[in-house]
Amino acid sequence: MKMTVRRQLATIAPAVLALALAGVATQPAFAFKLGMAVGGEAASNWQKPQGDVAHAIATKMGWDYVELSNNLDPAVATKNADIFIQDKVDAVIQFNGRAEVNPVLAAKYAAAHIPVVTYDIAQKGFYFVGIDNLAAGIAGGEALGKIAKDKWNCDVDLVLSSEGAGAGIVNEWRTGGMRTGLQHICPDIPKDKYVSFEGSGQVSVAAPAARDVLAAHPDAKKILVVGLNDAGVLGAVQAAEQLGRADDIIAWGQDGAFITGDNVDPHLAGSVLYFLEGYAVYAIKDVIGPIAEGKAPPMKDDAGDPASRVKPCPVSAEQAKKIPGIEERVKQLLAAPAGTTEYDLFCPKS
Amino acid sequence: MTDVATTTPETTLSRGAAFRANLPAGWGTAAVVAGAWVLLIIVSGIHRADFLSHQTVLAISFTMAIVGVLAVAQALVGISGGILDLSQPTGLIMSAAIVAWLLERNVPTAVVVVAGILVGAVWGFANATIVVVAKLNPIIVTLATNFIGGAVMFLVYQNAQAPLNSSFSAFGRGYFLGLPNIWWPMVILILVVGYFLPRTRYGRHMIAVGGNRFAAQTRGISLKKTRFAVFSIAGAITGGAGVLFACSNGPFAPTAGATFQLPVIASVILAGCSLAGGRGSIWLILLSVGFLSTVPTSLVFFGLNSNWQQVFQGMILIVAVSIDGWRARRLLK
Repeated sequence: MKMTVRRQLATIAPAVLALALAGVATQPAFAFKLGMAVGGEAASNWQKPQGDVAHAIATKMGWDYVELSNNLDPAVATKNADIFIQDKVDAVIQFNGRAEVNPVLAAKYAAAHIPVVTYDIAQKGFYFVGIDNLAAGIAGGEALGKIAKDKWNCDVDLVLSSEGAGAGIVNEWRTGGMRTGLQHICPDIPKDKYVSFEGSGQVSVAAPAARDVLAAHPDAKKILVVGLNDAGVLGAVQAAEQLGRADDIIAWGQDGAFITGDNVDPHLAGSVLYFLEGYAVYAIKDVIGPIAEGKAPPMKDDAGDPASRVKPCPVSAEQAKKIPGIEERVKQLLAAPAGTTEYDLFCPKS
Repeated sequence: MTDVATTTPETTLSRGAAFRANLPAGWGTAAVVAGAWVLLIIVSGIHRADFLSHQTVLAISFTMAIVGVLAVAQALVGISGGILDLSQPTGLIMSAAIVAWLLERNVPTAVVVVAGILVGAVWGFANATIVVVAKLNPIIVTLATNFIGGAVMFLVYQNAQAPLNSSFSAFGRGYFLGLPNIWWPMVILILVVGYFLPRTRYGRHMIAVGGNRFAAQTRGISLKKTRFAVFSIAGAITGGAGVLFACSNGPFAPTAGATFQLPVIASVILAGCSLAGGRGSIWLILLSVGFLSTVPTSLVFFGLNSNWQQVFQGMILIVAVSIDGWRARRLLK
């Protein structure tokens, strides 16, 4: 009886071993693991979908996916880098609004030999994927300038800048860029007509601050608003509405967070859409995908010569009516053929 | 004045002291805050004549509206010995988010307003439950629930907004007698609560518990019931502030309430409400909120940017806390 069992085992064992080896041979040695550090800035409605899109594409690719939130906090961003390194991810995508900590992150990831894609805020040693913030700012400023020229012949009483100092250089590019773009069209607006206030990119912060600035300029009847993002600009619009001066104000935003959907403020004349929630399409197509295939692209860490360029899409409020809200956009993006961008799908062509 | 105190020093009074003793309680605080406010307005008006304009009045009164309502809730918690309710930002936004959500679903405005206030009351009741059942320090509990509530809201939504074309939003942008619609509920609330707090049984229970809870218990006042009542009423008032916030603001994130915390606490302390409990005037909140809401507007007229507002409000808070400490020491003597 014992001999029989041994014979049976001797017969089965090679077969099991062969099957196991075959199984191992057909399975990849490991699944590619992508780490995603989302920005975590609560006031921006695109930050969560930005992670959702990356997750969906990574899943389609058969990769493992780990997501952490930077909480718009440099200490949290640093801790997240440590976690990704400890978790042995193969590549990282990050949106980090607190750029001051990027050199520290770069040193950590370089030591761990983990390639990193950074969205919108360039860092030496990180693949840059994103918008040219300065160009986007200038485009928005020029669009606003054209409206001011048509409506008021550039005879403007006040240009409000809703700054977001916490965003650092991005604020300078976008808000400063908008002022530059406005000057391209309306070069004769006196410098003393430009007034800045801290809006922190949030309506709840920008509105009271703008209210005080507007009260301090009670005679201003032709007011333009530029700023870091749609929320900061909307704060000024809201302040004007509260002071009964809504018809005196024309605003143009950045990032497109509040220019689409069915609850758009009529005094927001337009915005520059980046379709931030869909950045993962660019990052995975041009950088992460090739890395997963063992064909890492050459390092391009300069915003002027990026690894993948996201096209800005300036839209007027009228044009924006035809663009679906963020949830619908994400749905359509994920249903589209691989590599299709939201710019392809939604940006008005004329 | 509706200033209430549980301690009355009995000493032989000089003529000056006798005069002061005949004045309504809290007159000193009222005089100092009103004086500071008038001085600020005069100096700002001299610096720039256009400070004295209707636009300035509107800017200040919009700022006062929500801060004032929250300050009443905060004062009730403080006077009753609950120290501070640090969960107000979450209570405010939770209520505002529910209001926006219901309005999007075409629920009648009256129902929405009641729902917003109820959400705040439930939030306050939840805080009281933890404080009473777990016997924990209210300030720690509300700090924790503020974090928890904020995090839960993040999971549910990113931005909320009442429909712009609704009558509800139109009310938030409108005026009555030249002042914002949302300013008037704040004034009415301060007057009503200030009147009834020292004149009703429940109001006096709140004050007694805050002044000396052991003495209050010996008088048969239930500390637990009072805690539940105070936190629920304060929560309902915070919910009311959420309703006003929702109708007067554009899109708001779960973190949007944080900006109110410092001015609310500063207003309550400046109004003479003791952090140790048992003492404070609700009516004086109108003066302290008015003064603190004028500071940021005035700074802009002086050409100082908005970052200076936090500096000044922080400094005023330190001064107010110092005065509160000095008052407490004086009462002990």
